[in-house]
Amino acid sequence: MSAPEQQTNQDNSTHFGFKTVDKNEKASMVANVFHSVAKQYDIMNDLMSFGVHRLWKRFTIDASGVRPGNKVLDLAGGTGDLTAKFSKLVGKEGKVILADINSSMLNVGRDKLRDKGLVQNIEYVQANAEYLPFEDNTFDIITIAFGLRNVTDKDKALASMYRVLKPGGRLLVLEFSKPEHELLNKAYDFYSFNILPKMGELVAKDGDSYQYLAESIRMHPDQETLKTMMTNAGFEQTNYHNLTGGVVALHKGYKF
Amino acid sequence: MDKLAPNTSSLGNIVADQLMLKQALALILEKIINKALSLNISNNTNLTSIDNKRLTVILDELTFPLSFTVYQQQILVTSLAEQSDCSVITSLKTLKALKKDQQLTELIKQDKLDINGDIKIAQQFSNIAQTLEIDWQSELAKYIGDFATYKLGRIAQSLTKKFTFLKEQVQADSSEYIVHEQKLVVTKNQLDNFYQQVEQINNQTDALMQRLNALTKK
Repeated sequence: MSAPEQQTNQDNSTHFGFKTVDKNEKASMVANVFHSVAKQYDIMNDLMSFGVHRLWKRFTIDASGVRPGNKVLDLAGGTGDLTAKFSKLVGKEGKVILADINSSMLNVGRDKLRDKGLVQNIEYVQANAEYLPFEDNTFDIITIAFGLRNVTDKDKALASMYRVLKPGGRLLVLEFSKPEHELLNKAYDFYSFNILPKMGELVAKDGDSYQYLAESIRMHPDQETLKTMMTNAGFEQTNYHNLTGGVVALHKGYKF
Repeated sequence: MDKLAPNTSSLGNIVADQLMLKQALALILEKIINKALSLNISNNTNLTSIDNKRLTVILDELTFPLSFTVYQQQILVTSLAEQSDCSVITSLKTLKALKKDQQLTELIKQDKLDINGDIKIAQQFSNIAQTLEIDWQSELAKYIGDFATYKLGRIAQSLTKKFTFLKEQVQADSSEYIVHEQKLVVTKNQLDNFYQQVEQINNQTDALMQRLNALTKK
């Protein structure tokens, strides 16, 4: 676990972006951010990432090794981009659970997927990643894309994911991370703190939420720290792939 | 190395991973295929019989597999090679020749094509590709109008005719050259013979010169 996180854990406080807040407050603060941005979430994703988030998600699908008949949990699934693809790949025999703690995000995701005609094998569950409401050894694959950094207690969430994963199953964590090169890091910082909030203000009429987004990315554990956290939670053969120079990383771990 | 499990540790693959070239190619292919399917006017194209089936194509030219999964009249393109219903290992050149069913056995015998799994799945995918029929003029007219489409169509027809004529002309000229002109071209044997004769004349001239020199000295 990163040093600042350890420090905040001791006094029952945690980070909300760069702010230190009480652990009990973070969930509702994050919820407010996502209630606010839910309707503009997809368009903002395309704008902020210049459409590259579609490739990051495809990379995750390719790394999942998903097969027809698999049971997949798309945790913090938001507007359902991964769920849509998994639903097609697991087929009629399989099942995808789109889970999100935020009801607004879940509603946007459900409407979007139904509009696409994806109804056969998808279930929607409002769930906290720290206390997953599923039986032990339920899923073949669990994905959490751009969601883990918003979770209050990441270690507890990883342990919960490990519990509901079947032996032989794999966890994929797609999340913003630390760019590998200093020059890219500086350019990324400038973009995140100067352009991103203004974009949020213009398009989603909510600059503060996108300021939080930039801050929460900086406070999220880097590649090696997250890898260690996954190993500590019990995952084996844990590794990661840096994408777009480390702006995003895909962590993968197995339960045997 | 097992072709179904491409080497993921090479430098090329690491660069491809970083730039997500596989995913970009899959995204573009998926858009093109599904757009073509949505514009298809042929009644003979039906994906129902291969719904939920997966065809994996491993091309010599690419370091990763391309999988085509059918789902409700759409095709999803990924790099997943797991649990494919049929895997085709070949090259782009051979893939073009696959249009004729009777060539399948011949290509397998020649080791140009390797098929694992249900061969009918590959044939059904191939049939779908061949039965696709798109009314390009109607589609184009939606964007640029009927008149411009008509004019463009005429220009395209005229250009096609000219190219066809040019192609036929080149073919006819080539045939004529082979039949008539080539007869007039000096062959290698004739050239060798000519060099031999020149050599002989050269020798005879030298001998004559020696005799002349001898006679003048006397």
